[in-house]
Amino acid sequence: MAAFITFLYYLMVAFFAACFIWNFRRSRNWQSEVLYLIVLLPFLLRLFRLK
Amino acid sequence: MKNQLIRRKAIFTAAFLLVFLFSGLSFYRSRHLKEPVVAGDGLLEVRKLSHYFPGLRGRINDASVYILGKGTTGSADGAALVLGGSHAEEPAGRLAAWLLVENARLERGRLFVILSANPSASTSTRPGGAYPPDYEIPTPWGRQKFRQGDRWSNPLDQWPDPEVYIHYPSRQQLAYMDIRNQNRTWPGRPDGTMTEKTCYAMTQLIIKEKIDLVIDLHEAELQYPVISTIVAHQKGEDLAALASMMISGEEGFNIGVEYSPVALRGLSHREIGDHTQAIPLLLETPEPFLDATRGRTDRALLLTGKDEFVMKAGRHGLLFEKLDENGWPIDVRVGRHLSSIIQIFKVWTELHPERPIQMENVPRYAEVIARGTGFYLKNPDLAPAGRLFYE
Amino acid sequence: MSPTQSALLILSVMVAAYALAKILKVSTELSLFLAAVAGALAGGYGLPVRHLAEGAITYLDICLIFLTATLFMNLLKEAGGVAFAVRAILKKFHRRRFMLFLLLVFLLLIPGALTGAGSVTVLITGSLVAVVLKYTGLSEVRVAAIIFLIAGLSAAAPPVSLWAMLTAAGINMPYVGFFLPLLIPCVLGALLTIFILGRKARPVDLEKALAELPVPPERMNWWRLGLPFAAFLVLVLAGRIFPFSFPILGLPLIFALTAVVAVLVSPVRLNIWKTSLATAEQLLPLVGTLTCVGVLVQVMTLTGVRGLISVSVVTLPAAVVIASLFLTLPLSEAVLMWGAAPVLGVPLVLLFNTRGLDPVVALAGMSIIWPLGDALPPTAIIGRLTMDTVGVKERYSTFLKMCLVPAAIIALLGTLMVIFSKKLSFLTLF
Repeated sequence: MAAFITFLYYLMVAFFAACFIWNFRRSRNWQSEVLYLIVLLPFLLRLFRLK
Repeated sequence: MKNQLIRRKAIFTAAFLLVFLFSGLSFYRSRHLKEPVVAGDGLLEVRKLSHYFPGLRGRINDASVYILGKGTTGSADGAALVLGGSHAEEPAGRLAAWLLVENARLERGRLFVILSANPSASTSTRPGGAYPPDYEIPTPWGRQKFRQGDRWSNPLDQWPDPEVYIHYPSRQQLAYMDIRNQNRTWPGRPDGTMTEKTCYAMTQLIIKEKIDLVIDLHEAELQYPVISTIVAHQKGEDLAALASMMISGEEGFNIGVEYSPVALRGLSHREIGDHTQAIPLLLETPEPFLDATRGRTDRALLLTGKDEFVMKAGRHGLLFEKLDENGWPIDVRVGRHLSSIIQIFKVWTELHPERPIQMENVPRYAEVIARGTGFYLKNPDLAPAGRLFYE
Repeated sequence: MSPTQSALLILSVMVAAYALAKILKVSTELSLFLAAVAGALAGGYGLPVRHLAEGAITYLDICLIFLTATLFMNLLKEAGGVAFAVRAILKKFHRRRFMLFLLLVFLLLIPGALTGAGSVTVLITGSLVAVVLKYTGLSEVRVAAIIFLIAGLSAAAPPVSLWAMLTAAGINMPYVGFFLPLLIPCVLGALLTIFILGRKARPVDLEKALAELPVPPERMNWWRLGLPFAAFLVLVLAGRIFPFSFPILGLPLIFALTAVVAVLVSPVRLNIWKTSLATAEQLLPLVGTLTCVGVLVQVMTLTGVRGLISVSVVTLPAAVVIASLFLTLPLSEAVLMWGAAPVLGVPLVLLFNTRGLDPVVALAGMSIIWPLGDALPPTAIIGRLTMDTVGVKERYSTFLKMCLVPAAIIALLGTLMVIFSKKLSFLTLF
């Protein structure tokens, strides 16, 4: 059960990472673009099991 | 206009990917850094914790248990378990355990040593803590690299945390992240989290191997009142008091004695004593690197224990241990742990001659300071066959 | 150069970089990030990508809580649940101000008390309470002040008070004995806040209010509204009552499951992807601030700036330290958020302990002062979140001024608890 819950967490991280990437693509403001990438960093580090 | 937008995004993305790749690589390397252990003549066998609790098999916390002794492992003499790395961010505990495995010879009794009691915690550094990923100890044959580690298990191995951690079996409420703190999850449970399972496996080891003494090696910030001391369960009061006297008399440094509070749950010095036949003792040495008022956080501070800001806190009476310009070098801290262990075994054997634990060839406080910790680390390139292991 | 001079120099560079970025109209979040990068460069670390990335991940779990909780609330709003609840509360209590205020305080205290996060209060019940309060004739900025202050107290309220927990963990003190020392000042502070700031509230003109309020879908009812909240409560309580048999879900997953329930019982079809994208956009400043604050704290720790600040505060005379708690605690919260507990809380409690004060009551007193800092720059996360949620259009400084009187009372309450902690130690029963 614990492993399944952890898997759901990785799914959640992937989902919100996808949201950030999608919004980054749509953004027309350079500050928002940079900020989307900064907040994306921890999500991808976790998703790829690096940190 | 559109081209400009695409170019800008491409540049941002490229910069992002560089940061992601380089940081990711750094995290990956430190998580997978192999630390060599060259076991000494006293080694009988290396087992995994899953030998005592199969539920840990295949998990990162299936730690190696180094069993030292003479002859068979089933002797009727006394038995002790030494834990290094319960908190992986406290290097003196791990290094002292390393020197035991690489040097100790048991004349009587058996010695079980776990170098990384929470291996997962040794693979991660604390976000916000700015820890170096590793540190090096100079030896006569070169430098040996060790992972720095954190106080808590790596979230890559145990995720998520609850919103509040309820300790088993006392139901005491603790801070949520302490569910990954190896020294808050004793006695552990077989169907708990990985950290709880690790404690459960060690509890099973203690029971099945009829361990008499458990010594849990730690370090503490100087603003923490429990420091330079032996914390003893009530079963070990006499032993700790006598050992403290012997250490002060024979080893050249002072160490206090504190009794394990009954209300503080999940700690080794409380739960091992309550749930097994063993006497648990926890040793604390000073580590200024852990102080909240510390200055520049780097390898030098970790290994020398010199810090002007912590000294300033000391001048204002905020420290529970002295700190001067000499700092608290790693050799002093490792030496204190080793001499304390030597004296505890000596006193134990005097108090319990029917369960003796006699250990030789372990460097004492003065020797470690004179020659350095690295002097007692063996060269993995020259390790005899079957004696080289990795943590 | 001595360590003090070096840390001072690095701190100056960081402050200058932050100020310059703000002058150049760079957002607060990016200014924090730039200050961190400048600090690392000034400290001679170049561009330490490992440290920048490690700092960025510090608050990942809290970001996930914000994202899932806000997604749930946004889905509920889309389903018409919020409009339904507001209309129902107004119909029942529009003439009885005292009862209305008591109910609202209760609604505001619960989410933060259970989760330890004031932002969850703002997101879960804050938006709903705000609509009700606006119909009592209170200005938006006044409503925002009420919600912000009570949300802060809810975060400090038991059973989960992260400041108390993190500090207690830092000094190996068990998190026991805190229930009453935290509950009493939080309830007292919350009631004082709503009755002081809400003293000009008028009975609601029900017909006018109902005419202005959006009409929920016809099939919306108490069951559809209550089920997601019931699911949330059941999942949280199950973890508390059966901690050794119920799996550890963690708050992000609990909120995500609550959101799933909200979608399943919604009377209208919801576009989850669209709402999620909007949620990510809405929360970008908040999540961005958390991420950049993590980076900043990491660099401050790396370069010794954090140590300089900590040691400067704790080496002041005890009387000065206590008298300035109303300033130092909120300021540390403003910069470090929960990081303030291990950085400043630990040395402070140890200082108080050595001076013979009761550490539990003193820490509880400090815990109700800390959240006041959530309205202060550079982070001002909860303050800004509340402004957004309530829809305040005035300047941020107007909001801060509105908070001033109740905030001063809360700070005084907390400080008195520290001073008289020994005499109040009888409260540490459980």
